Amino acid sequence: MKDTEIIELQEPRLSVADQFYVPQMLVGMGTTLKHMFMTLTGKDRVIQYPEEKREDIPVVEGGMNLRTYRGVHRLNKDEGGRVKCVACFMCSTACPAHCIHIEAGESPWADREKYPIQFDIDELRCIYCGMCEEACPVDAIELTHEYDIVGLTRQEMIFDKEKLLKMYDQTVEKEPM
Amino acid sequence: MPKIMVDGKSIDCKPGQMILQACLDHGIVMPYYCYHPGLSIVASCRICLVEVEGIPKLVPACQTPVREGMVVHASSSKAIANQKAVMEYLLINHPLDCPVCDQAGECYLQDYSYQYGRSESRFEEEKHKKPKKDVGQHVLLYNDRCIMCSRCVRFTREISGGGELYVQGRGAREEIDIFPGRPLDNKLSGNVVDICPVGALLDKDFLFKQRVWLLKQAASVSPVDSGGENIYLDYNEGVIYRIKPRYNGEVNQWWISDDTRYSYKIVRDPRRVVQPMRMQYGSQIETTYDRALEMAAGGLQQVVATGKAGSLYAVLSPMMACEEAWLLGQYMRRLDPKALLVLGPVLGKGEDEVFCNSLTGKQTFVIKGEKVPNAKGVRRVMEKLGGPTATFEEFVKGDRAEVKEVKGGWIVGGYLGDWVPKDLPAGMKKGFRVMQDILPTVLAGAVEVVLPGAAWAEKEGCWENHQGRLQAFEAAVVPPVGCRREGDVYMNLLGRAGLYNGAGIRKEMGEPFESVRAPVAREEEAAFEFVEL
Ligand code: SF4
Ligand code: SF4
Ligand code: SF4
Ligand code: FES
Repeated sequence: MKDTEIIELQEPRLSVADQFYVPQMLVGMGTTLKHMFMTLTGKDRVIQYPEEKREDIPVVEGGMNLRTYRGVHRLNKDEGGRVKCVACFMCSTACPAHCIHIEAGESPWADREKYPIQFDIDELRCIYCGMCEEACPVDAIELTHEYDIVGLTRQEMIFDKEKLLKMYDQTVEKEPM
Repeated sequence: MPKIMVDGKSIDCKPGQMILQACLDHGIVMPYYCYHPGLSIVASCRICLVEVEGIPKLVPACQTPVREGMVVHASSSKAIANQKAVMEYLLINHPLDCPVCDQAGECYLQDYSYQYGRSESRFEEEKHKKPKKDVGQHVLLYNDRCIMCSRCVRFTREISGGGELYVQGRGAREEIDIFPGRPLDNKLSGNVVDICPVGALLDKDFLFKQRVWLLKQAASVSPVDSGGENIYLDYNEGVIYRIKPRYNGEVNQWWISDDTRYSYKIVRDPRRVVQPMRMQYGSQIETTYDRALEMAAGGLQQVVATGKAGSLYAVLSPMMACEEAWLLGQYMRRLDPKALLVLGPVLGKGEDEVFCNSLTGKQTFVIKGEKVPNAKGVRRVMEKLGGPTATFEEFVKGDRAEVKEVKGGWIVGGYLGDWVPKDLPAGMKKGFRVMQDILPTVLAGAVEVVLPGAAWAEKEGCWENHQGRLQAFEAAVVPPVGCRREGDVYMNLLGRAGLYNGAGIRKEMGEPFESVRAPVAREEEAAFEFVEL
């Protein structure tokens, strides 16, 4: 590693109010109390998750806007059921969280040059910004509406190519390409 | 010194120089494909056409010599119209391959398309698709991406001399090809990939591995022979992906040999020694680096304490940087002022391989027969340190008094292949031996202490090539877990604070090492303006 590759970060300085701690605590408390009263007067809405889900509630009432919601990724397939991705690395280049790892190889198909041998996304590191989706020249990567993904280990949350293609099969009915 | 005006800017040129080269020397950006400073001029791509006052038609800047008082308009409306037309022509049959093309990011066609082209195509007919070909051991040819600049053809005729590539067909059906049964298999073949301005010629080894914009560069020197070819190590996230030539007019010019190009593989060689070992009751056991170092230092001190002066030796490998050889020499001489310094085997006494221009017969490139990078430099360091020294041949023969005396020592390897001679010198057969190497050898399996070392791409230093040029190189990656840079080990043994730093050590070594400049990294290439999409 060269010196030029090292980035030095400065800790943000605390203001006087921050240093005294109590004023800042009261500001936070104020926010909490504000919402408490708004709920009591019916201006705020508490969603009883998981009995009630945001995707079932109208957007005006605080529901999820499915047109723009960004959840877990999927890798799209073409008509032949093959992965659409051409392993161009545009998504991993655009990704601000550096969470996409691709290994490219020669594709087994005559009509295509390159395809991903390995395609991993670290869903824990991802910030769900959707840059990858924007960058993709062949619309191969997309963010779905799925958000309730769980795993027991960090390793499980690194989605590989198979898992991402399975996401496509699971969501393609609800969210066509 | 003729003076010319280019777009209102007056520049000094060398007599007989072409307009394009004069502009490039003065930082004036001009597009060009077929022109290459190392090859003959054909002026076939026509993108460099400029307007010269007094000449009614546009002239190719790459082929028009400067004349005193010449007035050149490189960005007049005529010149720009020509650039647009050339770009449009080139892209007629060019596939829209950038997302899967390895050249994307360092492609002239891509860059000029942004800078001088138009954003949409007016071509409605079917594109003519030319076939993909395997032209040689290292090179693939994607004919559909070729823009027929003929740089590659000229290279094989004028530099490597074999003339393996030629232009086949005419007009729109023209393509680059090889002759039947004669693949592009010379030792400079990889260079055609570098000079191809587009992604038509690609390196099989680098194919699809990385996108070029992700790579960072470290300026380095070739480890394969005493030629000292200047190179860039292109790496990303601690892995080296390829080697590219670094221009040096006095050493390798624009070219490197294929041995140099693929020498980076040693860095991630699965055979690398990564486990420090020490001898216990006659067999080697695994140990930690610190324990191994302690044992090495203790063992050598023991040898000195029991023997007389001159019982220690050090085999300084010609793969070591001068700074490392200096530090190890100092350490050995501190333990034993009469320690014998031996220059390790200088491999490959073979003939130089000479490449000539097949048209003129002029010599263009030499691959040195001496297959180690720093024999001269280590000899120079040994002279500087003074005291008893020996060549490896003398050490093998063992008839000199100093050689007979030795009881134990420090052996450095670091070669790119197996280097241990069949008839091991008496001195290296027994006694207390510490070995630092990167690949396993028979000797490493028998010595008292094994210390895994670092490959050249993992450390910095300087090497002296066959011309006597001292050239510094930078580190690109860190050594694998378990290995330490030789320099750091010696600093530790000498009890010196801090980590090994090539430039710092060179300062204390005195001339000529003191004035070795750090390698210059690639100058920022002409910045391209991006078109708002
Ligand atoms: S959504 Fe954003 S952070 Fe997540 S993978 Fe895509 S680009 Fe990266
Ligand atoms: S941008 Fe699209 S095609 Fe390119 S690697 Fe990412 S998913 Fe694949
Ligand atoms: S293969 Fe490359 S270097 Fe050769 S003519 Fe085509 S574009 Fe030029
Ligand atoms: S660079 Fe001048 S014609 Fe090609």
